[in-house]
Amino acid sequence: MLRTVIDKEVRDIVTSTKFAVAFGVCALLIIAAFYIGATHFKVSQEQYEASKAVNLRQMEGVTDWMQIQQHRIFLPPKPLAALVSGVSNDIGRTVEIVGHREITARDSKFNEEPIFAVFRLLDLEFIFQVVLSLFAILLGYDAISGEKEKGTLRLSLANALPRSTYILGKFIGSFAALSVALLVAIAIGCLLLPTLSISLTGEEWGRLGLIILVGLLYFGVFLGASVFVSSLTHRSSNSFLLLLVMWIMTVMVIPRASVLLAGRAVDVPSVDEIDAEKATLASQLWEEFRADLSGFKPSSNSQADIEKTMDEFNKYMDSLTTLRNEKIAAVTDRLNESRRNAQVSQQRLAFDLARLSPATSLTLATGTLAGTSLDLKGHFLEEALAYREGYYDFMEEKTGVNMRGGGMFMRMSHGEEEPDPINPRELPDFRYQPATLAASVESAVVDMGILALFNLLFFAGAVMAFLKYDAR
Amino acid sequence: MNEQPTRETTLRLEAVNLTKRYEDGVLALDHINFAVQSGELFVMLGGNGAGKTTAINLFLNFLEPTEGEARINGIASHREPLKAKQHVAFVSENVMLYGNFTAIQNLDFFARIGGKTDFRRNDYRDVLLRVGLPEDVHDKRLKSFSKGMRQKCGIAIAILKDASAILLDEPTAGLDPKAGHEFVRLLDSLRSEGKAVFMSTHDIFRAREIADTFAILDRGRIIMQEPASNLAGKDLETLYIQYMAGHNNSSVAAAGGIHA
Repeated sequence: MLRTVIDKEVRDIVTSTKFAVAFGVCALLIIAAFYIGATHFKVSQEQYEASKAVNLRQMEGVTDWMQIQQHRIFLPPKPLAALVSGVSNDIGRTVEIVGHREITARDSKFNEEPIFAVFRLLDLEFIFQVVLSLFAILLGYDAISGEKEKGTLRLSLANALPRSTYILGKFIGSFAALSVALLVAIAIGCLLLPTLSISLTGEEWGRLGLIILVGLLYFGVFLGASVFVSSLTHRSSNSFLLLLVMWIMTVMVIPRASVLLAGRAVDVPSVDEIDAEKATLASQLWEEFRADLSGFKPSSNSQADIEKTMDEFNKYMDSLTTLRNEKIAAVTDRLNESRRNAQVSQQRLAFDLARLSPATSLTLATGTLAGTSLDLKGHFLEEALAYREGYYDFMEEKTGVNMRGGGMFMRMSHGEEEPDPINPRELPDFRYQPATLAASVESAVVDMGILALFNLLFFAGAVMAFLKYDAR
Repeated sequence: MNEQPTRETTLRLEAVNLTKRYEDGVLALDHINFAVQSGELFVMLGGNGAGKTTAINLFLNFLEPTEGEARINGIASHREPLKAKQHVAFVSENVMLYGNFTAIQNLDFFARIGGKTDFRRNDYRDVLLRVGLPEDVHDKRLKSFSKGMRQKCGIAIAILKDASAILLDEPTAGLDPKAGHEFVRLLDSLRSEGKAVFMSTHDIFRAREIADTFAILDRGRIIMQEPASNLAGKDLETLYIQYMAGHNNSSVAAAGGIHA
């Protein structure tokens, strides 16, 4: 009997005009998202290669590794980031390696092309979050109340058909009809990728599969909510209105309100405040450094020992610089850590509040699986820091100077022949290692669990409401 | 309650002190009693709000009785609803069905949830022909059907269920005379097959054509219940109007010699 209800539900949905329209729009958007994502990725890939080439080109002709003024590394574009952009377009994609300053990422995509910040790129997460949830509501709002209005509910329940079987059949049938339609559109989108010369690795396919699973879980939440609300009302127009209000609250209001509330509850010092404190300290230490520098006493005043004196001066200055940098680093670390801790607390509070909305769990889980969550920036900077350590080792090997301390270095020239230019391609290559699939799944599992829980709650609510539903 | 072997072969529908008071205090049915045997067509007449549909809803367990029982084949509907509903088919006032499905697809779905899973296309075709729907409409979507055609589909669904009792809630409302006449013929044939038919209606003329037993329900109480044979030669319309106007038994009796 369950199968009969499921079959009926699938046929009833698939033959309806609203399904044809909604599916058409949704399929078009999904395919467009894949196409736009693939095109965007190819452009980003070209820009990335060009930036790397420019970075090496500006080192060409340099004859001393010490003369390198600029060396930048870049966050490589990933195809999944084009499908679920997350914060990937908001964060800086370039890090300056030379020097000993604190590492920062700059040149975000939206910084370069602000038009995209106004009209965000169409991606799978947007389609899931906004379009798919509306699609679920549109097709589920009259699941029970509509049957009552048509008179088919009374006729169905005049038979020896358990209500639990009826509602379970309705839920499974509508979920199956809609998700199969959705998967067809996604499959077409996936087929587009190789035709646009985009190849995903096995792991990336796995991640995409999980992203789609999260999308289906999210879709199930809104479908469950629609059946639930439909089981509470006796007019489909009322259930549609209620669901629309719920949609606005969950998709539009709760996530934004949570961030505002968390911002009020946890105070995070601004970057400017931190920078001002750092600048004050740096200026004070610079004065001390200059004063200390004048205290340099060479072991010999002989003109013949000028090279030895230069060497002593370099060592003396190096020790002062190291001391100054250690002091700056200690204070900077403290300030940064305190800001980071406050930021983490604020972020955690915002996410916890925002998770009242399934839209938040969708955003967090898909972002994590695509590697474009809020962690992307931190992870990129960590990778950049690790790279800089390798860069320092490389430079020390090439020049004999430990560049970790920074400061000025003086080198004597003895009128020798001009040395050969350096080969910038010897520089270590920056290979960005995203979080592993296992780590991503581990991070996303909480939000996937929340979505599954929402599904269960709405389904249980729908069953409870329908068992008492007045079918007359 | 279990089926009782001797009586239930004939007694299909029973209202025993059936009472329903809604949560707002309205007494919709007040201790009504009636019984419908197999091969009997019982007509319940009454105005709007008299309680006719409430009685049907109690048989189908869409409502819980406040007191008394509605029994189908001896099974109290509110105690064992799924078991009771195996023995009853229902045709509503305005059969809507699924507009995107064809007549045969609708029949197939309702036959299956009615427990009949072995029907084939020919079975559906035969029953649709029997209720007067020509073959060229069998594969048309229901949304293009007239009300009369949908009512025929409704009765076809009831026939397919092959239940021993049939409940009809104002089935001829809105039908044109020809469709109404065809409908009455169908009910007659179902009665001939031994079905117990309970029909609520305003339509005195159709009722008179076919009923075995009449009852008049007014404000939740049965104010008259008589076999049709007792009303032969009587002006049923006058009687009905007088009862509905609240005449007392003696004045009604003077007009037609009937005892409630």
